[in-house]
Amino acid sequence: MSDEPVFVPLRRLGGMIRAGAVSPVQLAETFLHRLETLGPRYNAVVTLTRERAMDQARRAERELAAGRDLGPLHGIPYGAKDLLATSGGIPTSWGAAPLKDQRFDEDATVIRKLEAAGAVLCAKLAMVELAGGMGYRQPHASFTGPGINPWNLDAWSGGSSSGSGSAVSAGLVPFAIGSETWGSILGPAGYCGIAGLRPSYGRVSRHGAMALCWTLDKLGPIALTADDCGIVLDAIAGPDAADSTTTAQPFHYAGGDAAPRRFRFGVLENVRAGCDEAVRANFEASLEVLRRIGTVEEVRLPDLPWEFITRTILHVEAGSAFEELIESGAIAGLTAPEDHYTAYARDAILAKDYMKALRLRRVMAREADAVLSRYDALVAPGRPSVAPPLDRDFRSALGGSAPDVMGAVGNGAGLPAVIVPNGFGDRGLPTSLQLMGRAWEENTILAAARAYQSLTDWHHRHPRLERG
Amino acid sequence: MEESGLGSNEVDRLFAMVAERYGARLTPAQLEDVRKGIEAVVTGARALRAVKLANSDEPMQPFVPFRAD
Repeated sequence: MSDEPVFVPLRRLGGMIRAGAVSPVQLAETFLHRLETLGPRYNAVVTLTRERAMDQARRAERELAAGRDLGPLHGIPYGAKDLLATSGGIPTSWGAAPLKDQRFDEDATVIRKLEAAGAVLCAKLAMVELAGGMGYRQPHASFTGPGINPWNLDAWSGGSSSGSGSAVSAGLVPFAIGSETWGSILGPAGYCGIAGLRPSYGRVSRHGAMALCWTLDKLGPIALTADDCGIVLDAIAGPDAADSTTTAQPFHYAGGDAAPRRFRFGVLENVRAGCDEAVRANFEASLEVLRRIGTVEEVRLPDLPWEFITRTILHVEAGSAFEELIESGAIAGLTAPEDHYTAYARDAILAKDYMKALRLRRVMAREADAVLSRYDALVAPGRPSVAPPLDRDFRSALGGSAPDVMGAVGNGAGLPAVIVPNGFGDRGLPTSLQLMGRAWEENTILAAARAYQSLTDWHHRHPRLERG
Repeated sequence: MEESGLGSNEVDRLFAMVAERYGARLTPAQLEDVRKGIEAVVTGARALRAVKLANSDEPMQPFVPFRAD
């Protein structure tokens, strides 16, 4: 590692600023340079926001010098997934070629909240076109090219928050904002060997974010550690009159040096089904670590069509959200060939079946909470495999049959989850561990993830950027 | 997918509807992929329909009446 303040967790980076070891302007220059020079290697960046970054960094420097400290993100650079609206003529492409020059007059609420916390926006980061809502099946699904994994340049970074994952993993930004409808935060974070937090639905305002699925979309942080995710969530959470789904429940991150506690972990039966051998082995090793800080029990959910429930809701709402693009045939201008037509099949979902999925979602929420009420978190492999190769249909690469009950239930019921690295598998690529909690229990799962990370060192490992 | 009886008819009818709407802009290979997508839709729908719910099992919609003042 060089002398650059790269791969430094947020608390330590903030401490370096306050100790005078580095200034906000120096930090901004460092990360803008890395985004500019290394970003293209990973297809991570859509737009460098240099002018805005330097304005914000200079302001942070003045404020801190004057004794006005806005908190742990003051003067810290970050990147935002390119589905978050930004003012000032900065494009917001949604990853889609037909929209690459799209501009908005205002900032998304998350962007405004981070500005209020003193964070410095350095880049709009690459993403799968329309957040993957048109049914892409392989990594070449963005006009900026496939997201490339810093651990192995022949592997995908994951989607749909592709650039958010690779940029944090490669040390191009200290943290990033991603979005998840089903897997789009946990996927890239897991594949890239970093931490990601999917907050409870309604915890973070989505005002100004591209809508893929109104009842499933969440925004959240991707960062180096679970603690970093908590710090960022503290800044972006909270009610917003512009997003009626936001909860009035306040969120204050309870990080830091809390007294050690014991946790109760549950493991869903069959959660290892379809997983790679290395993923299984690393998961079993993770369970051994978790047994040092709590209890681990196997549990089961009732046999219901969890994935069909969430998928039906997602496909119908995405079909409506992008009705104009689909009906007009403009989806033929998207990058992935399968995105040109896959959405047409969703016209075949009948209204009564969609309504059945919505009714079953209540059953899903009730059953999931009944299980989770006995535990602090359900734990599972973060992904069933390491990141697939760039040139492969990833459904084939995953065997096409790995079930994702945790993802279906977690997203369908709007539950929070955090993902952290837990080892390495094939082709030198990271594997991961996810912890999912009851609604509004971000502090609980973050505490458990912090405890896990205090006993492991996977989060201290970073890709050698010259590696091919 | 297991295709027989009502399921197969349902796929055929839904595919005909979708093909009528969009078929003119799709190649035969794309249409075949759309058909596979519709088979997946019907598989999912049948799984959802197989779950029995009570009349009182309602969606979790947060609908509330609106007034501006």
